[in-house]
Amino acid sequence: MKSVVITGAGVVSSLGDTPAALHAALCEGRSGIGPVELFDTAGLGCPLGGEVKGFDAQKYLGKRNLRPLDRTSRLVASAAQSALDASGWTAEMRAEREVGLVLGTMFCSVHTISEFDRRALEAGPAYASPMDFSNTVINAAAGQTAILHDLRGVNTTISTGVTSGLQAIAYAADLIRGGRARALLAGGADELCFESFYGFDRAGLLCRSNGHEGHYPIPFDARRNGSTLGEGAALLMLEDAASARERGARVLAEVAGCGSGYDCSRSRDERRAVEAVAHSMRFAMYDAMLRPYEVECLSASANGSPRGDRREARAVAEVFGGYARSMPVMAIKAMLGETLGASGAMQAVAALETMRGGVLPGIPQLEQFEEDFPLALAGPDRQSVDVSNALVNSVGFDGHCCSVVLAKCDE
Amino acid sequence: MQNRIVVTGIGVVTSIGTGREQFWENLLAGRCGISAVESFDTGAYGVHCGAEVKGFDASRHLRRLDAARLGRASQFAAAAARLALADAGLEPESLDPLRAGVSLGTTSGEPQEVERFDDSYVAKELDKVGAEFIGRYPCHHISAHVAEELGFAGVNMMFPTACAAGNYAIAHAFDVLRAGRADLMLAGGSDAFSRITYTGFARLGAVAPERCQPFDRNRKGMIPGEGAGVLVLEPLKRARARGGRVYAEVAGYGLSCDAHHMTAAHPEGDGAARAMRQALDESRARPEEVSYISAHGTGTTTNDRLETIAVKRLFREHAYRVPVSSVKSMLGHTMGAASAIEAAVCALAVRDNRIPPTINLEEPDPECDLDYVPNRAREHMVSVAMNNAYAFGGNNASLVLRKCEV
Amino acid sequence: MSTDEIRAAVKESIASIANLDAGEIGDSASYKEDLQLDSLTILEIAVDAEYKFQVKIPDEELSNIRTVDDTVRIVEQYQSAPVIAAA
Repeated sequence: MKSVVITGAGVVSSLGDTPAALHAALCEGRSGIGPVELFDTAGLGCPLGGEVKGFDAQKYLGKRNLRPLDRTSRLVASAAQSALDASGWTAEMRAEREVGLVLGTMFCSVHTISEFDRRALEAGPAYASPMDFSNTVINAAAGQTAILHDLRGVNTTISTGVTSGLQAIAYAADLIRGGRARALLAGGADELCFESFYGFDRAGLLCRSNGHEGHYPIPFDARRNGSTLGEGAALLMLEDAASARERGARVLAEVAGCGSGYDCSRSRDERRAVEAVAHSMRFAMYDAMLRPYEVECLSASANGSPRGDRREARAVAEVFGGYARSMPVMAIKAMLGETLGASGAMQAVAALETMRGGVLPGIPQLEQFEEDFPLALAGPDRQSVDVSNALVNSVGFDGHCCSVVLAKCDE
Repeated sequence: MQNRIVVTGIGVVTSIGTGREQFWENLLAGRCGISAVESFDTGAYGVHCGAEVKGFDASRHLRRLDAARLGRASQFAAAAARLALADAGLEPESLDPLRAGVSLGTTSGEPQEVERFDDSYVAKELDKVGAEFIGRYPCHHISAHVAEELGFAGVNMMFPTACAAGNYAIAHAFDVLRAGRADLMLAGGSDAFSRITYTGFARLGAVAPERCQPFDRNRKGMIPGEGAGVLVLEPLKRARARGGRVYAEVAGYGLSCDAHHMTAAHPEGDGAARAMRQALDESRARPEEVSYISAHGTGTTTNDRLETIAVKRLFREHAYRVPVSSVKSMLGHTMGAASAIEAAVCALAVRDNRIPPTINLEEPDPECDLDYVPNRAREHMVSVAMNNAYAFGGNNASLVLRKCEV
Repeated sequence: MSTDEIRAAVKESIASIANLDAGEIGDSASYKEDLQLDSLTILEIAVDAEYKFQVKIPDEELSNIRTVDDTVRIVEQYQSAPVIAAA
C-alpha cells in the first residue's frame, strides 16, 4: 500500500486566507466570530457567525468570469488555487497529469437552491435562472472548481454532515493508497447562509447570549450552551509519496491513518454515541500503527455543543485513559465557529501548522470544567509544543464520526 | 489476493415496480413509467410529464422507522434496502452491526424539505419551519435513515454527485469491502421527485413533452423521475460460505472529470472514455469483451450524441457490435438513483442473459448509429456489463459487472 | 421604453452575466462568435431579459437569439404582445 503525503494546503477562513495566517490568529486567541453581515439575523436567537468578511474570490482567481459561481464554489475555487500554488502544481502540470478533487460539504448549494426555487415561486418557473440551476446540485462547487483549475482526475463530493471535510481527506487518502490516484485536492467547504443558519437556530443548536460575558462558543467549558456557525474552505494536496518525491515536492506531513465510526441510534443512545467516537479514534490510530500514548496532540471537534463536546470527552477518556491528562488539545471551532463541511479540513490545516511551528492554540474563555473532564491540559492559553503527530477528530451532530492521524515524515 | 466482491441482493423502488422481480419483468416487457406529473401543479410549465412512483407506501417495507417521519428519498432508500436484504436472504440481526455499512448517492437529498422552507418563506410564514428542517433536509440523513432502519453501525457514506451518484456509492462500497473494512455493504442511490429539479430542467429546455426517446433522431429531451436502487454487496467468500445467491461480480470502476462545463459534456468524450477505460482496466477486461452497455442515455440531443462519441472513442469498431440500451426510456431520469437502478439492471442482465430495450426508438439518428436494442428486450449472453453515468459538473463514473461462477 | 433604452439594459445584463465591459459590446455582436459565450450563458441572458422586461419568449424562439440585436428585437416584439400570467 502506498503512503500518502501532504504537499500543500489552501484555506479561506474568517481568520485568514493562508494556513500560517489562520494559525497565527488562532494562537493569538483571536475570534472570527462576530455579528453576521451577510444576511439579516433579526428574529433569530443567535446573531453571531464566523463569516469570511470581505471575501473576494477575484483576489485569488484573477480576472476569470466568476459570475457562474456561487459563494460556496468561490470559496472552494479560491482555497484550491492556494493549495495548488502551495504544492507547486502549475497549470502546465495539471494539463499533463490528472489531478482530482474530493470535496466534503454538508450543504454546498442550499442558498442557491432556495434562491432558484423562490424566484420560480414568485415570478413563475419561466423566469428561473438557468445559471443558478447548474449550481443547485450539491457537487456544483467541486465541478466549478474542476473547470477553473483543469482538475480532470477523480471528482467526488461527500456529504456526511459535519464530518464531510475530514471524511473527504480519508476517502482521498484511500484512493491514493489503493493506487487509483496520485494527486488529489481533498478537504471541505460550507458557506454561511440564511437557510442553514435559520435551520440550526430553530433546532436550538446555536448558542444564545444569556448573560454570559466574553465570546461564544466555548468548547468543553461547563457553561457552554451551543455552537455558532462559521464558513470557509480548506483543501490539502494529497499525493502518493513516491510521485511527490519524484517531482521534488516539499512534504508537510503524512496522512498516517484514518478511521470512522457511526452511531446508528443518531444520538439517542448515549453509550452508542460515545462508542462511535471511540471507535473512530481507535481505528485511525490502529491504521496509523500508533498506540494511544503515542498520540502527541489532539484536534478536537468540540464546538460548544453541550452533548457533543461531552461525548467526545467521554470517548477520549475511554480511549486514552489516564494519558488524556497529558495530551495537548486544541479546539479551533471556539474561534472559527462550526464550519460544517470545512471544519475537519480546517482542523487538519491548523494541526499541520502546529506540528510545523511548535505552538498549539488555546481555547479562549475555557475556564470551568466538568468533574470528569479528561483533558487536563485544555485551557485558554496557547502552549509551546514539540509534536510530530496529531489526531484530528470530526464528530457530527447526529451519528457520523471521523478521525485522521497526521504525522511528520522522516525525510 | 484481493477479495472478490459480488452482488447478492437487489432492491428497487421505481415507477414500473417495487421489488426486483416485478421491476425486471416490467422492464423487459418495455413497460413505461412516464405519465402526467401529480406531485405538484405543472400548469405554469410548458411540460407536464414525469416518471413518478405512484401509490408508494413505505410503511409496508419498514419495520423500525415510522415512514411518516422520513423524507421521501429516505423512504425509498430504506424500503429498497429492506427489499435488497430480503432478496439476499439475510436478516439484519444476523450481521455484526459494526461490519455492515451503507453507501448511497443522491442528487437532491430531500427536496420537499427545502421546498417547504421556500413556500413558507415566500408566504412570509417562515416560523412554520422548525427544527425538522436541519433534522430532515441535509442529504446525509438518507444513508443515516437506512442505517437506523437496519441497525447498521459500520461505514456510512453519502455521495451527492448528481446523476452519477449511484455509481460513486457502489464504487466506494466495493473499495470498502475489498479493504476488509466491512463484511456487507448496502450500496445504491435514491432521489425523490423534485419541483426544483423539474423547474431547472424545464428551464434549460431539456424536458421532453411526452416520451423519452434516447438515441432517436427526433428525441426531445429527458423526463425527470424518482426512485431508489440498492444492492447488497459482499465478498464472494462470505456469499459462498452462507450459500447466498450471486447475481454478478463487481469487477471494477472508473471515475473522472471533464473539467469542461457544468451542464454540457466534453465534446470529444474525453472524460467519459477515461472513466470507461479505468473501469475496464481494473476489471482486466478488454473493450471487445463487453457484452452490454447500460447507457446514461437521458434522451437529450446532446447527451446521446456525445455519449455515442465517447463509446466509439473507447470501443472503436467493437462499438458497433456491443448492444447499448437506455432504461431511462422507460424509467425517466431517476437522478441519483439512476446509475444504482441501472447497476441492478446490469446484474440482472448478467444473471439472465437478457438485455432490456431502449423503447420509443423509431427513427435512427445518423449520429447515433450503434445497436441500442430498439424497442424489444433481447436474449444475449452477457458476461461483462458496463454501467455508465454522467453528471452535472462533468462527473463521469463507469462500473463493470461480470459473470461469476460460484 | 425606447429601443436604445432596451439595448442599454440588455448590454448591462450581458456585462453582468458574462463579466464583460458593457461599453465594448457591439450592437450586432453575436453571442457565440464575437462574445465567445457558451449556450448556458446565452440562455441565462435570454431569461434575464425576460425577467427584467417581464416578457415571455416562447421556447422555440430562444434558439433564434444569436446577437444582441436579436435580443433587443425580441424583447420589443413580446413587450407589445399580451403577457401570459405566471402562476
